[in-house]
Amino acid sequence: MKLLTANRLNDGRVIYLGEADHAVETIDAARPLDDAAADAALAQAQSRPAVFVNPYLIEVEGRAPSGRDRLKERIRSAGPTVGHSLDFPARNETA
Amino acid sequence: MQLLEQVQDGVRLSVSTPEENIRAAAAANDSLILEFEAFRDGRGFSLAAVLRGQGYRGRLIAAGKVLPDQARHLRRCGFDAVELSPGADPAPWRRMDQVFSAAYQAASGDDRLVWRQRHTNPDAALAARLNARWGQADAEDLLRAILDPALGRKAAAISSFGAEAAVLLHLISRVRPDLPVVFLETGQHFFQTLAYRRELTERLGLTDVRDIKPEAAALSQADPRGDLWRSAPDACCAIRKVQPLAQALAGFDTRITGRKRYQNSHRAALEPFEAADGVLTVNPLAAWSADQIETWLRDHQLPRHPLVEQGYPSIGCWPCTRAVETGEDARDGRWAGQEKTECGIHERALVPAC
Amino acid sequence: MYRYDEFDAALVRERIKEFSDQVDRRSSGALTEDEFKPLRLMNGVYLQLHAYMLRVAVPYGVMNSCQMRRLAHVARTYDKGYGHFTTRTNIQFNWPALQDLPAVLSDLAEVEMHAIQTSGNCIRNVTTDVFAGVAADEIEDPRPWCEIVRQWSTIHPEFSFLPRKFKIAIVGAPKDRAAIRTHDVGLQIVRGEDGQTAFRVFVGGGQGRLPHIAQEIAPAVRGQSLLAYLTAILRAYNLLGRRDNIHKARIKILVAAIGIDAFRDEVERQFAILRHEDLRIPDEELARIQAYFTPPPFNDLPATSPAYDAARRLNPEFARFTRSNLREHKQAGYGAVIVSLKPIGGVPGDITAAQMDVVADLAARFSFDEVRASYEQNLVLPHVRLEDVHAVWSRLREAGLATANADLATDIIACPGLDYCSLANARSIPVAQALSRQLADAALLEKLGPVRINISGCINACGHHHVGHIGVLGVDRKGEEYYQITVGGSPDEQAALGEIVGRSLPAEEVAPAIARALDRYLEIRNDGELFIDTVRRLGADPFRTAIYELTDAAA
Repeated sequence: MKLLTANRLNDGRVIYLGEADHAVETIDAARPLDDAAADAALAQAQSRPAVFVNPYLIEVEGRAPSGRDRLKERIRSAGPTVGHSLDFPARNETA
Repeated sequence: MQLLEQVQDGVRLSVSTPEENIRAAAAANDSLILEFEAFRDGRGFSLAAVLRGQGYRGRLIAAGKVLPDQARHLRRCGFDAVELSPGADPAPWRRMDQVFSAAYQAASGDDRLVWRQRHTNPDAALAARLNARWGQADAEDLLRAILDPALGRKAAAISSFGAEAAVLLHLISRVRPDLPVVFLETGQHFFQTLAYRRELTERLGLTDVRDIKPEAAALSQADPRGDLWRSAPDACCAIRKVQPLAQALAGFDTRITGRKRYQNSHRAALEPFEAADGVLTVNPLAAWSADQIETWLRDHQLPRHPLVEQGYPSIGCWPCTRAVETGEDARDGRWAGQEKTECGIHERALVPAC
Repeated sequence: MYRYDEFDAALVRERIKEFSDQVDRRSSGALTEDEFKPLRLMNGVYLQLHAYMLRVAVPYGVMNSCQMRRLAHVARTYDKGYGHFTTRTNIQFNWPALQDLPAVLSDLAEVEMHAIQTSGNCIRNVTTDVFAGVAADEIEDPRPWCEIVRQWSTIHPEFSFLPRKFKIAIVGAPKDRAAIRTHDVGLQIVRGEDGQTAFRVFVGGGQGRLPHIAQEIAPAVRGQSLLAYLTAILRAYNLLGRRDNIHKARIKILVAAIGIDAFRDEVERQFAILRHEDLRIPDEELARIQAYFTPPPFNDLPATSPAYDAARRLNPEFARFTRSNLREHKQAGYGAVIVSLKPIGGVPGDITAAQMDVVADLAARFSFDEVRASYEQNLVLPHVRLEDVHAVWSRLREAGLATANADLATDIIACPGLDYCSLANARSIPVAQALSRQLADAALLEKLGPVRINISGCINACGHHHVGHIGVLGVDRKGEEYYQITVGGSPDEQAALGEIVGRSLPAEEVAPAIARALDRYLEIRNDGELFIDTVRRLGADPFRTAIYELTDAAA
């Protein structure tokens, strides 16, 4: 299965394509896509540059990234594995 | 730079064309269109710069994939015009071309090179810099900053010891009581002014107040009876104030005055810092209102010039000063009935007469 | 340090307006992302894994306390309370929102800071020796020239769309403490025949996929001709550099392809035909800028301080700190204090807002209001009286900034890696942390002496691993993190690229392997011989066998 991911234009945060084509912030809320739906979703996201920056598709098993870039996608979904950002809440992250 | 909405005729070369071919084409044509293959491909800028550097006077037109954000780059490298793609909106082009008021690099046909601006008009640059840095500061901080010994400035204050003089002098006494303070002893002051000058100096602990008198020879020649003010007030100010002041301030590169915007309409645009002919004039109270002056005088219990309560908000020499009516500007009692509003000591080019 | 006049200030404000216009047009769709990207990069705005990253310029590494406090404010107000200093002496914030950037840039402009050209295919921040104006071997303070080159290169109409990024470094001494030979252009101040300032010019250095050590293109370019010569180099590069392949687009590829002699000829041809009068630095401008870099009003002090000596005798921990983190100053009675951003197990180069405020206070009180960022991702308080060093150290220690490891094995230089960077193959920070803990013993560190260890998370080599005495490069083997180790690189005037020692290792084996290599060094070194000199004497083989010892034995 695939998911569509991108960065959000206004704050750069990682987003996924969720239900009803909304942009969602967590991988768990992303809408799983089969191949046909994936292409359509990519086109959808590309037509919305005001929200989706550089959208692309990733391979998942369930909700876990599984392709070649699985480590990178896991870090994108969960945040950095180390560092000060783990100690400090984001100022402007929505709940 | 021109924005061309039609496709241009003429020799058109891609920016990927080797430089020597471009130069050859320029040698053979008095107009050249350079086609940008991609807006990230910056070769066109260097090609134009090379041509202009070699003295090419022909017309250079940029075409192809260029962004409005590159308008300025194109113009400064020597392009005369841009051929816009069909339907392109010219507004962002014009806007982005004018974003910067000056640049660190020389450019074809554009003289706003920062080096030149810095060093051909050092006075304006200095004043602008100081106004930007200290213009909003509180008057005492501003004074302290400009009198900082590290700046190496030779400063003196000018005071009329008039109606509002105490404010500036008080600030000076708090920052540098040994600052030279120049008082123009014109010989035609109200006696109350002279008494006030002595009292205030003592009260504030100012240690270097200098009485500057007009040159005796000049006086006996031009104004032996002391009535020059009647026939030629400008000449009288010149002998008794302007020239003596120029002498007294020779060697000082910074003069501090108590001038304020509200005093008359001619001072309405006064800035805290002005510079001309290598002399910096500092007006720490430029933006103060009459109320602020009053409040300061009251809060710090500073003695007032005795004539103020007799209706003289501004006090000069006795022949040319009268009390002021309600509704008039504070300085309307000075040279009343005449066009003269300033004695001239704050005008430019204070050069000693000799 | 340099202070803006109204022209500098106006330019920075106008740049913010320009960028805001571009952000608006991106949001409205008038600009596509493809068009917007180079424009935002030229304002230091990257889009990384998790968020935008703003790279704020610290021109040639110099800051005052007011600026440091403002950086703390930015970290607290718009970010997650910390920043990261890089190998190019800039500072990065990892979490600002695009819509906040005009406000961030305004706040920075108020203290004469900006993010102009910290990214993009343009001329980047000029870097220099962190001990400029301090080191006794200096011929001339390079910083006025850094400022001149900074202004000349800022918003340059001809050189804003180069084939690729362009990095310039300048040093004022024969010892190269700014790795100038790893830069696109490196400048070394020399005395010309007439005794005037001249520059030995190197060109074509760079790391990345295809690292090169720069070659000398001119032995002594006169100071007055410097900008003209740089213009000629940039022009030749702009016209001839490859634009078909992003990995072959740096000037190092061009110089390697046509050879240094042909490249020199091309530069000299351009130099001959350009208009020099526009590029000759006016004497009054040079004087104006040099006036900002006169030495601070030092006190006349004896060379030694009894209070300082006593403090060292009484406190072994303090004494150790002075052995590693205090550098000699040419002014008697003063020293330069290295503020370590490499706590054991920490993120190399990171600093919290609270720590920034501490450093700002110390700079204002003890270092003539000056603090600098170094190539090694540390900070330096350049002018501290010896008698004040103990007070400074105490305060740094409270704030976690006094790790006694400057230039030692745990003074690791590392890029942010896959935790932050979308270009990375592997994480670098956890490797740095593990290595730091592995080597944490203070006595061992001192025994090892200076060892430069660099870690990059990918081939772009932002951690400068090619020129580490020991380099670590993260590679991606089928989705797993593996690390290649190099030995024998050097960033200084004996510049060299490290040699890959063998196959890559999984993450958990890296720290033990490097520890074994360092143990081997202790076994085979001559008395007083530095690690890098042992490598130069004996080659990489002894270290190769040590690194692969266990795994080979197991095979």
